[in-house]
Amino acid sequence: MKKRFTFILLIAIVLLANMSLVSADMHGWWADAAAPYAGATIRGVSESTPPSNYVADVLAAQFTELTGINVEFETTSWDQMYSKAINDMEANTGIYDFVYIEQDIIYSYLAQDYLVNLTQFAADNPDLAYEGYDESAFTSFADYFKNADGDLFGVPMEAFVKVYLYRKDLFEDADIMAAFEEEYGYPLAPAENFDQYRDNAMFFTAYGENMDMDLWGTTVQGSTGHPASTYEFLESIGPSFGLYNWGINLDAGSAMSANGGALDGDTAVEALTFWLSMLPYAPPEATSSTWDEVASSFAAGRAAQGWVYGENAAWIATDDSRSAVTGNVGVRLPVTAPGVIEAAEMGDGYIGYYDGGAFGVPHSSRNKEATLLWLQFIGQQSVQAEWAAAGARITHTATFDDPLIAEQDAKVDGYYTLLEEQGPLFAGAPPFPFHAQVREVIDPFIQRAILGELSPADALSQAAAAVDEELSRLGYGM
Amino acid sequence: MRNPRTGWLLLSPTLIILLLFGFAPFLYVLFVGFNQWNVFSADDGLVFNGLDNFRRLVFDDDFLHSVGLTARFAIFAIGSEVVLGFVLAQMLTRNFPGKSLFRIIHTLPLMVAPIAVGAIWRLLVIPGFGPVPFFLDRWFDLKYQIGSYPDQALWTSVIMDVWHWTPFVTLTMLAGLSAIPKEPVEQARVDGANRFQVFWYVTLPFLRPVLLTTVFIRIMDAIRTVDEVWMLAGGGPGTRFTGIYIWRVVFPRTDYGYGSSISLITLYLTIVLCWLLFIAISGRRKGEVE
Repeated sequence: MKKRFTFILLIAIVLLANMSLVSADMHGWWADAAAPYAGATIRGVSESTPPSNYVADVLAAQFTELTGINVEFETTSWDQMYSKAINDMEANTGIYDFVYIEQDIIYSYLAQDYLVNLTQFAADNPDLAYEGYDESAFTSFADYFKNADGDLFGVPMEAFVKVYLYRKDLFEDADIMAAFEEEYGYPLAPAENFDQYRDNAMFFTAYGENMDMDLWGTTVQGSTGHPASTYEFLESIGPSFGLYNWGINLDAGSAMSANGGALDGDTAVEALTFWLSMLPYAPPEATSSTWDEVASSFAAGRAAQGWVYGENAAWIATDDSRSAVTGNVGVRLPVTAPGVIEAAEMGDGYIGYYDGGAFGVPHSSRNKEATLLWLQFIGQQSVQAEWAAAGARITHTATFDDPLIAEQDAKVDGYYTLLEEQGPLFAGAPPFPFHAQVREVIDPFIQRAILGELSPADALSQAAAAVDEELSRLGYGM
Repeated sequence: MRNPRTGWLLLSPTLIILLLFGFAPFLYVLFVGFNQWNVFSADDGLVFNGLDNFRRLVFDDDFLHSVGLTARFAIFAIGSEVVLGFVLAQMLTRNFPGKSLFRIIHTLPLMVAPIAVGAIWRLLVIPGFGPVPFFLDRWFDLKYQIGSYPDQALWTSVIMDVWHWTPFVTLTMLAGLSAIPKEPVEQARVDGANRFQVFWYVTLPFLRPVLLTTVFIRIMDAIRTVDEVWMLAGGGPGTRFTGIYIWRVVFPRTDYGYGSSISLITLYLTIVLCWLLFIAISGRRKGEVE
């Protein structure tokens, strides 16, 4: 017994010593590689999101401790982030050493040659290539940030899907279930089609009113002063009805049905009509809500179900200090029209938005080498699990199997499993080099439809015409 | 000391700064305004297109709508600020208990950055969480949702601007009122003028230069309002003022050429408006000199 104990103790000591040596070795590599840049400050800008905040609060400090390189990371509003990054890169001022590249803007940035080819840059600087960083470890989401040769232009730092969230405490309440079944003639359940979604929304809105609760039937990301409403329609609701790529036919250079587009087609009108019909069943803040407010409304328990960006799923489901519905969050695929899932499985479409972003290095950066070290640091496997648990984002295939994520997965009703298994049914934004330009043109029409100033058909017809005009002006039109 | 060269030498730092940071950027905007330039277009260079940008904005419904909204915003906000500012300034010329405290509290909004003003008001009026919609609904059964009703967004912007800038008008009016000599007022009263007549025939003419300057400053501010309103309502349908429209065209749309042409026209409209107002208030006619 004593011998066995001594043997186990010896093994443990050897393992610990080995781990500490490896750890010291890793520390040594970072310190050695960063030695020429110690004391330098690299600056970055990103949208203030849970994954970005984790970078600012946790990873930046860890990197500085390892390398002596300071990281000034600015997390700001989505609009400001784009404005600052684009102005800096366009003017070549070199204020930022790394910028957040949302998946939908990468095509514009690549078209303008704003970004450093990271694969090439690492190959050109072998002394800075960290062996714990492996581009092949990323999920297929990284493909959005690669050129035709497979070279990476951004290190993925967040990736998530927009899912259907519902409140389990309401959907599984026996009295509520009985009341619903009595009224609608079928059992209450998370929505699997749009009629069921509407019934759920109507029921819970009436329930909230009757019970004098601040409860409504659905979320709607319907801000009339922000592009978020256009995004929810074009990237979540539209695809779930079978409207893909914003209804723009890039080959034809048109959004109009008459020219091969689909933005003013029947599917688009049906999708917009449905979405707008949800507004009466959404909390009053819906028409002022971007993605942040939608998450906050759901977390405050003000909506029974809704479309919510997955990056918020973890904190809504687990963070008592910010959410009133912890432990009661159900996660499902968003509802779709008949045939849409089948089309997505065949690769002929997608059911919703696979969002995310990466950090890239602008050509204008004055600290490319130090920034390459930083990007490898955040791109290594060892920092991924805790980051994923905090920000509900996964960029490495191996992270799905991490015990921490398995534990978190159970608390978030299988969100991570859904992301892994059903993620391929979703897709990022279409590969437009004119993303923001055309979206800005569509915004006013969607906003006027939300306000009831335009019918869905008129709004989309006018939007399609305006898109064609803008495409023509930008040199991508017919 | 009367050597003109010394005068120019002393003025030169200011002139250089003005030329570098005022006139040179203006010339650049003027140049860009006659070009098509969008960095995300297929041809991302500058392409001279003559007056096309200006022709485009004449038929741009969104721009024309933004001009109309800005005019409504400016008229109601500045009108309210001038009236309120004058009344408060009159009040502050008299002594009353707590006058000093009132003057400090009244002036506080001036010290708040516009972006913070917008944030404060957004928190006050955001549906679902803000106290204003909550109490309006509870007490008056009034649905107050700035995201759903453009008129409510516009009026909220006006009220926010009045809250922020009335103290400025009060201070300038107070300075103007303090500078009015007592003799003409006393003489008018001796001659039997009532309060309104004293105000109309004595106070107002003396206040005219201050009033003119204040209104000019406020008009220019109102026309270029962006940050407060942006924070409040994001420039949605009720608040897409000209400044916000220019911001949207120049930044998210990166249509620098068209954005520059709108900026130039807006500057021209501002100058014309101020000039017309100057003639109207000062009563000056062509050929008259001071």
